[in-house]
Amino acid sequence: MRPGLARLLRRDGTEVGYGWAYLDETAKREVRRALLKAVAVPGHQVPFASREMPVARGWGSGGLQVTLSVITPDDVLKVIDQGADDSMNAAALRDLVSRTTGVRATTDAREATLIQTRHRVPEDDLHEGQVLVFQVPIADPLRVVDSRPSVTRRLHADRDYAAVWLYLYEDHARTGQSSFTHSHPVEVERGYVMSPTPIPRFDLPRLDRAPFLALFGAGREATVYAVPPYTRVEPLAFADRPFEPERFDGPCALCGAADTYLVEDDSAEEPRWVCSDTDHCRRRREAAR
Amino acid sequence: MSEVLRAEGLSVRYGPGCPACAAGLDGSACRACGSMWAIRDVSLDVEAGEVLGIVGESGSGKSTTLACLHLDLVPASGRVWLLGRDVTGVTGTARRRLRAETLGIVYQSADRSLELGVTAGGNVAARLFAAGWRSYGESRLRASELHAGMELPEERLDEPVERYSGGMRQRVQLARALATRPALLLLDEPTSGLDVSVQARILDLVRRVHRETGVAVVVVSHDLGVIRTLADRLLVMRHGRVVERGLTDQVLGDPQHPYSQLLVGSQL
Repeated sequence: MRPGLARLLRRDGTEVGYGWAYLDETAKREVRRALLKAVAVPGHQVPFASREMPVARGWGSGGLQVTLSVITPDDVLKVIDQGADDSMNAAALRDLVSRTTGVRATTDAREATLIQTRHRVPEDDLHEGQVLVFQVPIADPLRVVDSRPSVTRRLHADRDYAAVWLYLYEDHARTGQSSFTHSHPVEVERGYVMSPTPIPRFDLPRLDRAPFLALFGAGREATVYAVPPYTRVEPLAFADRPFEPERFDGPCALCGAADTYLVEDDSAEEPRWVCSDTDHCRRRREAAR
Repeated sequence: MSEVLRAEGLSVRYGPGCPACAAGLDGSACRACGSMWAIRDVSLDVEAGEVLGIVGESGSGKSTTLACLHLDLVPASGRVWLLGRDVTGVTGTARRRLRAETLGIVYQSADRSLELGVTAGGNVAARLFAAGWRSYGESRLRASELHAGMELPEERLDEPVERYSGGMRQRVQLARALATRPALLLLDEPTSGLDVSVQARILDLVRRVHRETGVAVVVVSHDLGVIRTLADRLLVMRHGRVVERGLTDQVLGDPQHPYSQLLVGSQL
């Protein structure tokens, strides 16, 4: 807010000058239609008319459009960036959604009904009725195989995924392991192969038959896709080269958790490994006190 | 003997077509409407374990015929049966499965069937993945088995094909084509552009593979030497039509059609 400009708020706390939830109703309806199709055909990439947003494309504009299209006044919102609620990007997106809808925001994944996330699944056990909105930089898992959408669309239509298997084969033949550290392609309900967005391999098992609804929005690529609750999500892996999530040498340096996804914290004197989910980590430390 | 492949009345036309097309063409073009008939009324059949040769000059429709048999092209008219099943016009998943399981193809230019940036083993394994193989160890074993069978050096299995010589690329193509033990092998000018000694060794290899696996083969070539070496029976094509057919020795020894006579007579 520029200094000197009075901030005009409605009685419900939302900003005057914008429609409810920022987007116009036609835009929201269009995104919802695309999402309905996406939910009906799990893992299938559905095009939508990605609008200009007040964040740059590639900075969560897709996730934001999905969030703004599905949010209701009763929702409780959580926004995370790589597991953190307080990063610049997460805070700005949360602020935008709150100010144009007036919905309550939280950092606690257990009480949130709508969670917009960049590249993580919260550590808490999520439950039915919750919606996760993933920000997607590259929607097509076949991009590594062929950069032409005209080609990859046909491959998806034919369920022709030999090229992805070849990619995995080449990894194993040349280096003895898979080179997917993130965005490891998954097969959704034995049908389409889908990119789970750059969430770490650690989070993939938690998408499988998960109770929550997962919506994926790629603003730059104007694509949405979805995984409905209790849908099978299986990482592609050879029968004799099983999929392996990341492993860590020790527990979180802050809360001592040994079952969470850790990231290197280089802001401390000595580099150390700490939980990527900051709120979960904070609650564990408070409970221990 | 059981029939592996049968094609009847295949025609491929580029252009609108018109009643005058049927009356007669100037070469393969219709004077009235300008349509090109790449092939016209081509019929053939291949029994299990048999090698059928197709010869003809450039533009005679050899490769177009092969493209119809490989299900790349849907003919304007005519039908194709593979292992007794009518496969005319199949597309999508059904075509992919058919190609992966029953058809193998070797092109003159290796980059049409191979990914040059991918290892030799990977190129072979890709066929197995297309046919539903999901074990790394088994796929690799089958790929290295074929690699050795094609007399390729074992230590180069994990080398990208772009570093292979022309003759070796043809061997990798052949390994790839045979990976899923297909019923029918299609060879489109498999040795053209290779030097004579390499040609001879590739042809020996094809003969050995054929003897060992009993795969039915359709080989297309403008080189009568290749056809004489490989084919049991022969079609001679010109302007998109089959002008003569018969046993290879018979056709090459005593050609009946003027064009066949010219072809045999003009061999260097």
